Amino acid sequence: MSSVHVRDLKKSYGHAPVLHGISLDIEDGEFVILVGPSGCGKSTLLRMIAGLEGVTAGEIRIGSRVVNNVPPKERDIAMVFQNYALYPHMTVAENMAFSLVLKRASKAEITQKVQQAAAILGLETMLDRHPKELSGGQRQRVAMGRAIVRDPKVFLFDEPLSNLDAKLRVQMRSEIKALHQRLKTTTIYVTHDQIEAMTMADRIVVMRGGVMEQMGTPLDLYDQPANLFVASFIGSPAMNQIPGSIGAKGFVADTGHVLPLPTSAVAQIGRSAVYGIRPEHMTLEPSGMPVRVKTVEPTGSETLLLTELSGPQTSIDITAVFRGRVAAAPGDTIHLQPDMAMVHLFDKETGHRIMA
Amino acid sequence: MAEVALDRESGGGPLRAMGGVIATPELATLRTAGSQAPGFGIRGWIRVLLADIRRDWQLYVLLAPMIIWFAVFLYTPMYGLQIAFKQYSLFRGIDGSPWVGFSNFVTLFNNEYFLRAIKNTLLISFYSLVFAFPMPVILALMFNEIQHNGFRKIAQTITYLPHFISVVIIAGLVINFLSPSSGIVNVLLAKMGFEKIYFLTIPDYFRPIFIGSNIWKEAGFESIIYLAAIAGINPALYESARIDGASRWQMMRYITIPSILPTVVIMLIIRIGNMIEVGFEYIVLLYQPATFETADVIATFIYRAGLQNNQYSIGAAAGLFNAVVAFILVYGANRLSRRVSQTSLW
Repeated sequence: MSSVHVRDLKKSYGHAPVLHGISLDIEDGEFVILVGPSGCGKSTLLRMIAGLEGVTAGEIRIGSRVVNNVPPKERDIAMVFQNYALYPHMTVAENMAFSLVLKRASKAEITQKVQQAAAILGLETMLDRHPKELSGGQRQRVAMGRAIVRDPKVFLFDEPLSNLDAKLRVQMRSEIKALHQRLKTTTIYVTHDQIEAMTMADRIVVMRGGVMEQMGTPLDLYDQPANLFVASFIGSPAMNQIPGSIGAKGFVADTGHVLPLPTSAVAQIGRSAVYGIRPEHMTLEPSGMPVRVKTVEPTGSETLLLTELSGPQTSIDITAVFRGRVAAAPGDTIHLQPDMAMVHLFDKETGHRIMA
Repeated sequence: MAEVALDRESGGGPLRAMGGVIATPELATLRTAGSQAPGFGIRGWIRVLLADIRRDWQLYVLLAPMIIWFAVFLYTPMYGLQIAFKQYSLFRGIDGSPWVGFSNFVTLFNNEYFLRAIKNTLLISFYSLVFAFPMPVILALMFNEIQHNGFRKIAQTITYLPHFISVVIIAGLVINFLSPSSGIVNVLLAKMGFEKIYFLTIPDYFRPIFIGSNIWKEAGFESIIYLAAIAGINPALYESARIDGASRWQMMRYITIPSILPTVVIMLIIRIGNMIEVGFEYIVLLYQPATFETADVIATFIYRAGLQNNQYSIGAAAGLFNAVVAFILVYGANRLSRRVSQTSLW
C-alpha cells in the first residue's frame, strides 16, 4: 500500500495539450475515482501514473518516490484494463501467474498466490480454462486476479466495467468495492459512469478538458457541486438548470416565474445566475411553478416526469422524480415546488457556485 | 415465386452469389416450405439455380468471364489428359491414338531421371520449408521491433521490392553475381586469394543458391501476412505485459509469437500442401545439364520430356501424377488445417 501524489502534471501530444496541470493527493488505502466525459484526460492521467505514458511536466510520486522516469514494472502497480487484456493463449492460472513467472518466483510461491487470488475471486474451478471459454464477468475477475497476485502498492482500473452488461456491472461494482475493503490497497479507478463513481469511491475527481473540476467525497460533490459542470455531471437524472437573475422576492427565471431562494442569497440581488435544483428535490404543491407534463416515465419504485416551464419568450425543460406513483398524464399542468434547502445557485457567466 | 420472396426477406446476399446453393438451414426450411418447393436432387438444384440466374443475372454476367476462362483454359485441356494412357501420335490425334493402359506410368517409374526429379522436388521443398519458411516470420518480428517509423518503412520497402522483379531478371541477376568472370562474388573471392568457383555448374551449390535467392526475393513480401497478424494483436496485451514486468524480448516470446502462431500454422500447412510445386520457371532459368543431378524437378522433367523430347504421353503421365499428388497434399493440408486451426479453404 502506498499514497500517490500528483503535482502540476501536464501532458501534451505534440502541440496539443491534454492535461493542463493536475494536482491531487491520494491517501494510503484510499479508493479514488477519476470521472469525466470522453476526452477529459482521465485515462491519460491513469496511464501516466501507470508509466504507460510519459510526463510532459510535473511530478508523480508513489509513496515518497518520484516515478516520472521509472518504467511501469518498477512502479509496483497493477492495472486492470477496459478490455481485460488477458493473454488469449494462456490459461486463467497462467494469466494470473505471468507477472510472477517474469519475476522468477518459485513454483510454490506462484501456486500459492494464484490459489489465494482464485479463492478471493471465486475462480478456483476455472484455472485451467482459456479466456475465450469465460464469460465477460469471469474475464473481469481474472483480470483482477492478475492484479491481486502481484500484491501491488497501487491498483489502477481503467474503465473495467464498461464492457459488461448492466446487471453484471452492478454485481462487479460491489465485488470490486468488497475487494478493496478486504485488501485495503490504494486504488485509482477511471470511469465515465457517475453512478459507478458515486457508489464505489471514497473520493471522486471530476475532470473536464484536461482540468480537474472538483475533488471530494461523493456526497460532497452531490451536495456542494463547485460549478455547473459538476452539478450536471454528478447525479442522475441531471440537475435542472434554470437561467435567470436574483430578485428581491426570489429567483426570477427567464420565463418570468419567481422561484424560492434562501435568505442568504438576497445579498446578490440583480446578479445573473443559474438556479439549480435536482429532480428529486421538488414536491408537488399548488404554490409551486406551473409546468406542463411532456412525458411520464414510471419505473415502479419512482416516477420520472419530463416537463416544460413556459414563459412568454422562452421555455425550459424541467425533470422531476417522485418516489412512488404520480397521477399525471402528458399535457397536464402540475405545480413543482423546489425544496429551498436544496437549491444551488451558479454564476451565469463563469458557471461557478455562488451560494453555499 | 414464393421462394424468391422468401429469399429476399432473409437477406440472402451471399447465397445468391453461390449459384443457388442452399447455405443456411433456415433458408432450406423456408424453401421446402414454400408453395413451389423445388424438390430434392439435381433437378431441384437446377431449378433453384435457374431461378437465381433469372433474378440476379447481373451477378452471373460478372461471374461469366471467370467461368469461361476456367472452362477454356483449365477444363477443356483436361480432355487431353487421356494421352497419359495412350500411345499418343501427333498424326493420329488424341482420339485416334491407341490406348496403352498404365504402360506410360510403368515407363515413368522405371526411369531413374523421373525418380531423381521426385527426390529433388521433395528435397528442395523440404529445405525451403526448413530455411525459407521461417524467414518471413523472423523478418516480421524484426520489423515489429523497429521503433523508428521512417526506418521501418524504408526497411520494409527494401525487402518487399525484389518480389516485384520478374523472375527472369532475378535469374539474370543471380547468374551475373555468380559469374566466374565478372560476378561480384567471384571477384571478391579472387581478391581474397581464393580460386574462382563456377557456382551454377556445381550440383552441390544449386539448392543453396535456389533457396537463398528465393528467400531474398520473397521473404519481405511474405512477411506482410505475419505483420498483419501482429498488427491484429491487442495493444493492451503489451501494456499489460509491460506492467507485469516483461522485457521486449519477453513480450515477443510470450505475446507476439503465441499470438501469430495460428497464422504460422495455417501458412505452414498451405506450404506443405504445395510441396510438390517448386518454382518451375526459376529452375528452368537457373539450371543447366551439369546441375540436373540436384536441380531437375518434376515440373522441369515434364517440360523436357513432353515439349523438348516430344514424349507427350510420358509428359502427360508425369503431369497427371504430379497433379494427383498435389491434390492429395492440398486436400490433406486443408483437412489438417481445419482440424488444427478451425480454418480451411473449403
